[in-house]
Amino acid sequence: MTVASRIAAFAPQESVAPLILALPKGRILGECAPLLARAGVVPAADYADEESRRLRFPTNDPTLDVVRVRPFDVATFVAFGAAQIGICGADVLLEFDYSEIYAPLDLGIGLCRVAVAEPAETAGQQDPARWSRVRVATKYPNIARRHFGARGIQAEVVHLNGAMELAPGLGLAQVIVDLVQTGSTLRANGLVETTVIAPITSRLIVNRTALKTQPEAIGAWIARFRAALGQETDATAGEGRAR
Amino acid sequence: MTDDLPPHPALLPAGLRDLLPPEAEIEAAAVERLMAVFASHGYERVKPPLLEFEDTLLAGAGGAVAEHSFRLMDPDSHRMLALRSDTTPQVARIATTRLARAPRPLRLSYAGQCLCVRGSQLLADRQVAQAGIELIGAEGPMADAELVLVAAEALAAIGLARVSFDLTLPPLVPALLAAAGVCATAQSALLHALDRKDAAAVRQHGGALAETLTALLLAAGAAPGALAALAAADLPPEARSHAACLAATVAAIHERAPALKLTIDPIEFRGFRYHTGVCMTVYAPGRHEELGRGGRYLSGESEPAAGLTLFPDALLRAAARPAPRPRVYLAPGADPAVAAALRRDGRATIAALAPVADSVAEARRLGCAEILETDGLRAVTAE
Repeated sequence: MTVASRIAAFAPQESVAPLILALPKGRILGECAPLLARAGVVPAADYADEESRRLRFPTNDPTLDVVRVRPFDVATFVAFGAAQIGICGADVLLEFDYSEIYAPLDLGIGLCRVAVAEPAETAGQQDPARWSRVRVATKYPNIARRHFGARGIQAEVVHLNGAMELAPGLGLAQVIVDLVQTGSTLRANGLVETTVIAPITSRLIVNRTALKTQPEAIGAWIARFRAALGQETDATAGEGRAR
Repeated sequence: MTDDLPPHPALLPAGLRDLLPPEAEIEAAAVERLMAVFASHGYERVKPPLLEFEDTLLAGAGGAVAEHSFRLMDPDSHRMLALRSDTTPQVARIATTRLARAPRPLRLSYAGQCLCVRGSQLLADRQVAQAGIELIGAEGPMADAELVLVAAEALAAIGLARVSFDLTLPPLVPALLAAAGVCATAQSALLHALDRKDAAAVRQHGGALAETLTALLLAAGAAPGALAALAAADLPPEARSHAACLAATVAAIHERAPALKLTIDPIEFRGFRYHTGVCMTVYAPGRHEELGRGGRYLSGESEPAAGLTLFPDALLRAAARPAPRPRVYLAPGADPAVAAALRRDGRATIAALAPVADSVAEARRLGCAEILETDGLRAVTAE
């Protein structure tokens, strides 16, 4: 039949360009290192050096490069297919809710939570059920609007990129919605956590179209990271590394 | 008084654009090549209008696209009109009304523009071209396979031979959830988790289904592996019969096009809202967008049907650009018969409207690689 003869098979060297793994700068980057090592990914030595001007790093695997970007940008790079794989916190996924991102693996690192915090002296004195609206300082405007919206409260969001903890004390907002790891920054600024919106861990994320068009390559990386996760408990899980 | 500048005349509303030379011609030529392949397989062309009454356009299968549709009021009838955001519901309407008595299976094709109220996260485009086929009044693996094979041949005709088809079963997950009696509130969180392939959230919301769903979620990939995972999964009867349909469709496609790349994603259902069986999405390696999509649905209330729509805008971004039509400058006094022969040969002739001092310089200025003068055709050398 003519169709069969006119449709070429995929060439074996399908993707000549290396896959890109996007890693988040900062807090999680350090926690990624042991996981990357167990998955057999060895990026160029300066990748973990925040002083390095380089943004893209080759790895020991010629089919994989690493880029280092801001945590929120990991999701954007992966959503638009600029990076095929990434590691980012579930907080970023909750905030952007990119439909082009799949999150097939919970890496169990970067443990923290997205929470509402208020000044310690006023916390618990008002009944939030009586609020029509609340002014919230946050870097997560969508999470904040969704959380309060679900309780019948309009969130008037003051979008900040950092130092949210200052906002209530300086009259910028009544409450904040922020990532909380130990709570020490909140305490140091006279705030208390009143509601946990969601517990957060880091996820391995992949681009939806990349998974559809390169299922073997992307699937192999997911399997490799899964094996790396299971390694402490499962001595046979090294097959990803043997590839 | 404000200092606002008047809007720039070139500024268009978000998501709309002008197609210029040579893209506009390339697009039109590509659409005609797709339509020629469709026609060669017996798909006859229909041309529904851009606007229809809202209540008929958005009834039945059209209901699923209601939120994407622009509306306006008809000053004539004072009824609400909707602009099509998808052509399939219109073709289904034609099949169940004007062509109700046409013999089945009915093979129809169409090409035209659609408008959506907003673009996607990836692409701002709000005007999207469609060229597609509908096979109405037939069901079974051979019908589903025919759509994939005809689409693959049409794509090959415009130079896209290395495509892959992602086959999905949108009714599978609802069948699993219904059989397990998952309540509505748990369902929406679970469906969102499945849509994002968020394994952690699937485990959290999946309850008794968590294990099966996680296995299916991880099964997405090349057809043989995914089919094996589906065969091994613990499925209730309705879901099992959907899985059997998919396996039969894959076998029917592979029998006729063994080299065609097929992937399967058993739990994918995104964007397939009026679909009732095997669905497909077309991808090209290295491209971050869908080249086409389609699947099985019900035409009217009950007639089995399936269709596949290709997106010419995305196809042109993925395909190699064809060589432009060579241009010949016709100097004053050039032989009209020779010029006509050049046009038949595929060249474009650019006629001089008035004598110029330097014909060669004029030919160069107008982008012509050749010049036809009274003494014949010759090449225009680069400056």
